[in-house]
Amino acid sequence: MFLEITELKKSFKNADTKTEVLKGISFSVEKGEICILLGPSGSGKSTLLNIIGGIDSADSGSVRIAGEKTADMNEKALTRYRRKHLGYVFQMYNLIPNLTVKENIEVGSYLGSNPLDINELLHTLGLYEHRSKLPNQLSGGQQQRTAIGRAIIKNPDILLCDEPTGALDYQTSKEILKLIEQVNHRYGNTIIMVTHNDAIRNMADRIIKLRDGQIRTNSRNEAKIPAAELEW
Amino acid sequence: MKNPLNRRLFRELKDEWGKYLVIFLFMTLTIGFVSGFLVAGDSMIKAYDESFEKYQIEDGHFILKEEASAAITEALEQKERVNICPDYYAEETVDIDLNGNADSTLRIFKIRKDLNLICLMAGSLPERDEEIAIDRMYADNNHLTAGDHIKIGNEDFKISGLVALSDYSALFSDNNDLMFDSIKFGVAVVTKDGFKRLSEKNIRYNYCWQYNDPPKNEEKEQELSEDFIEALADEVLTAHIEIDTVIPRIANQAINFTGDDMGSDKTMIIVLLYILIIILAFVFSVTISHTIVRESAVIGTLLASGYTKGELLRHYITPPVIVTLTSAIAGNVLGYTVFKNMVAGLYYNSYSLPTFHVIWNAEAFILTTVIPILLMLAANLIILTRKLELTPLQFLRRDLSRRKQKKTVPLPSLPFFHRFRIRIILQNLSGYCTLFAGILFASILLLFGIMMKPLLDHYQNEVTSNMPAKYQYILKAKIPTKVRQAEPLCASSLTYDSKERSEEISIYGIIENSKYFKEELPKDGICISDGFAEKYRIETGDVIHLHETYDDGSYNFIVKKIIDYPGSLAVFMTNQKYTDTFDTTADIYDMDYTDIELLLRRLSTPDDGLYYNGYFSDERLTDIDEKYVAACITIDDMTKVSRQLSVSMGNMFDMVKVFATAMAALLIYLLTKLILERNSTSISMVKILGYSNNEIARLYLLATSIVVILSILISLALATKIISLIYRAFMVDFGGWLTCYFAPWIYPAIFFMLLLAYGAVAILQFQKIRKIPMDLSLKNVE
Repeated sequence: MFLEITELKKSFKNADTKTEVLKGISFSVEKGEICILLGPSGSGKSTLLNIIGGIDSADSGSVRIAGEKTADMNEKALTRYRRKHLGYVFQMYNLIPNLTVKENIEVGSYLGSNPLDINELLHTLGLYEHRSKLPNQLSGGQQQRTAIGRAIIKNPDILLCDEPTGALDYQTSKEILKLIEQVNHRYGNTIIMVTHNDAIRNMADRIIKLRDGQIRTNSRNEAKIPAAELEW
Repeated sequence: MKNPLNRRLFRELKDEWGKYLVIFLFMTLTIGFVSGFLVAGDSMIKAYDESFEKYQIEDGHFILKEEASAAITEALEQKERVNICPDYYAEETVDIDLNGNADSTLRIFKIRKDLNLICLMAGSLPERDEEIAIDRMYADNNHLTAGDHIKIGNEDFKISGLVALSDYSALFSDNNDLMFDSIKFGVAVVTKDGFKRLSEKNIRYNYCWQYNDPPKNEEKEQELSEDFIEALADEVLTAHIEIDTVIPRIANQAINFTGDDMGSDKTMIIVLLYILIIILAFVFSVTISHTIVRESAVIGTLLASGYTKGELLRHYITPPVIVTLTSAIAGNVLGYTVFKNMVAGLYYNSYSLPTFHVIWNAEAFILTTVIPILLMLAANLIILTRKLELTPLQFLRRDLSRRKQKKTVPLPSLPFFHRFRIRIILQNLSGYCTLFAGILFASILLLFGIMMKPLLDHYQNEVTSNMPAKYQYILKAKIPTKVRQAEPLCASSLTYDSKERSEEISIYGIIENSKYFKEELPKDGICISDGFAEKYRIETGDVIHLHETYDDGSYNFIVKKIIDYPGSLAVFMTNQKYTDTFDTTADIYDMDYTDIELLLRRLSTPDDGLYYNGYFSDERLTDIDEKYVAACITIDDMTKVSRQLSVSMGNMFDMVKVFATAMAALLIYLLTKLILERNSTSISMVKILGYSNNEIARLYLLATSIVVILSILISLALATKIISLIYRAFMVDFGGWLTCYFAPWIYPAIFFMLLLAYGAVAILQFQKIRKIPMDLSLKNVE
């Protein structure tokens, strides 16, 4: 297995209360799969994604990517791990305001040892004509495509997407999902996507449903349909 | 591949050009001035140090009451292994404006060929009898130039050129003076025949000496000079010639004062530069902190993507370093070109220095380039490292508070606008703290720049109004006068030793019911001048210990009263106490009368039972021959210090004023700009809610106005305290005392100057408020 999550637990403590967010999560994902983490708000899916991404830590349990265990890593090793294996896409695009589209994507390519060809990627993202524009000259969908470009240019093993369509309208959301799918087909990255939109599950290879910090279902999607055909 | 984030740097500098430009200009000018100061100062110090050899500066000189025979000088030369050169001079009064009145004094030498050589600064050396070359600085101060005519005694002289005499870089007419006087005193050279045109009675038999084997250090020099003085005394006294003065070079203020003073300003100037750099570094770090808050989600994303904290730290620290580096380079270029001349001008305003050549100064480069960059780096590193310690997740969630739970400061039930403003102040506390530090620093500089002129004027007024009489005559013995205004006076001097230094104190014995000295004097103690009390922290009731400078006698006095007498450090007692203390009844027998004429004059003075050796008088004592007068102190002599300081440092005071006001304006501009930027989304939101620009200004600008006004008021109080401490530390090292005085008007003046600077900035910021678009808060883009 490429990604192995074993008995992951996480809780947050307040002054006098302790909230268990993840209550012993275990699952695995194969290389090149699209895995959708589905669940309502507060189910722990973003926390799980952050732990996989090495930007949050678990109380117990382990995350292994290609055999490397993140819990054993110190801060420097974690940074190297993220640099080497991961690409991140958030609901908010978090682009650098005074860099152009191309330059924002280059921010990602700087991190990879074997980055993709930027012009080819710009074509794939449909941003080639907009490559010299600043983020505030773009629509929300174009900004999110730029953010995806920044995440995948370094050709990461895993692309982590946290509600990538959460701030977008239906049509734009579909475009973004199509793009993610296209990236997956073209470059073979493993994609873990967090969403609360049930319709998106159909484009996944694996669907993991979370509720109250536990996995309700973990199944392979035998009836996978292209993102372009998704409806909600 | 180069870090693509680097591409932001140029755009960041371009987008924020206004901010960076003012910082750049300000830092460039400051570094330029300091660099110029160090380059010119060190080049001049080098020229000054080299002048000892280049111009063959004497190792000392002595003045005899009459000409010494060749046998005496040859004996001394052999015995002490020295070379002695006669360097006679005539001290003449000069009529500059040819109106028949004497304006100042010139000490006129023959053109020197062996020792104390002359540096020609302009024109030519005199070639004809009626030509004279005068000191360059004396000429500047009296608006004289080559080609002008002056009247010396009854003789007319044409100025052929301007010169610097290597042994008079500071124009001290008397080595015991607290300050030199380049306005009323100067030096000059004439030809050998021209010298004959001068009055013979004004000629002083001055001889310079130079050791055949130059001493290697000051200790050796001291030893050699002591031996020389002893041998000189033996030789000349055996020949019945009286010594007027002996001044070895190490004790000669006219030669040494310049070198001591030129180096002394360096530390202060460098410290000022570094304080300023640190303040600017904090301005930068406040700006960067604001940028980090604004870009926290981006930072979180970058960290989550694998960027290291080091990469981000380097990225955010680069703009201040670039600005500092370019400022340092541009500043140094300016320092070596423009400011060097300006600083040299400041020095040439004070000292009569020879010409100098600029030399490359590695130390100045390090002090003005490397250290400012290191300071900028260090200050920003501390702040940035702390800021970037947060986790990527905290940046993504914009949870940048280091404290777990930030408590809201409870506010009393004030009107809404008041509470709103207090919240703004609390939110921008770090920025306002930096603003306060900047205003404090500017206030200290402004106070210093503005206070000195009134301080010197005040000193001059105080000296003038407290001077007991227009003339104070100190005689070589008790000589009577028929001038009715004259009142007898006893005067001498003793030495007071403190931890910091030994200083000569004037001792006065005042007759009963003096018409000049109005203070009542105690019978069982003494009064001291307020300057003496202030300088050495002496209080009424203290016992002070004074001793003879060259003899063994020492005395203890109880201080009964401290009186207003700013003119000098002085002790006053009744004439009776004076004669009792110093046993003056035997003055005829104790005094060393090598001058037979003076002894006869003293013996012919009827003994009226009153000892005195001087007079207070509002009239000149025309019936006492000048040769019996040791000194005649007038208002001009007493105000020499303030007059000279005004001329020497006047330009610098003006520069400090402009610099401090500009700095205050810059800091206020940068920090208020930042505060508005930090709140631009909120300002946009309240605009949408319907607030007018004026109302928004009342919220946001008034909060800053309150902080600025409070900062100015607190800073002025603190600056007064700080300046008083610095001033005291500074003055203790000098001879004499100028009371630290803050003219009351300077406080409102500084307050309004700073407020004016803020007013200009506030207008700019109001324009900014007007320009903030309403849709800013609605935009969902970065």
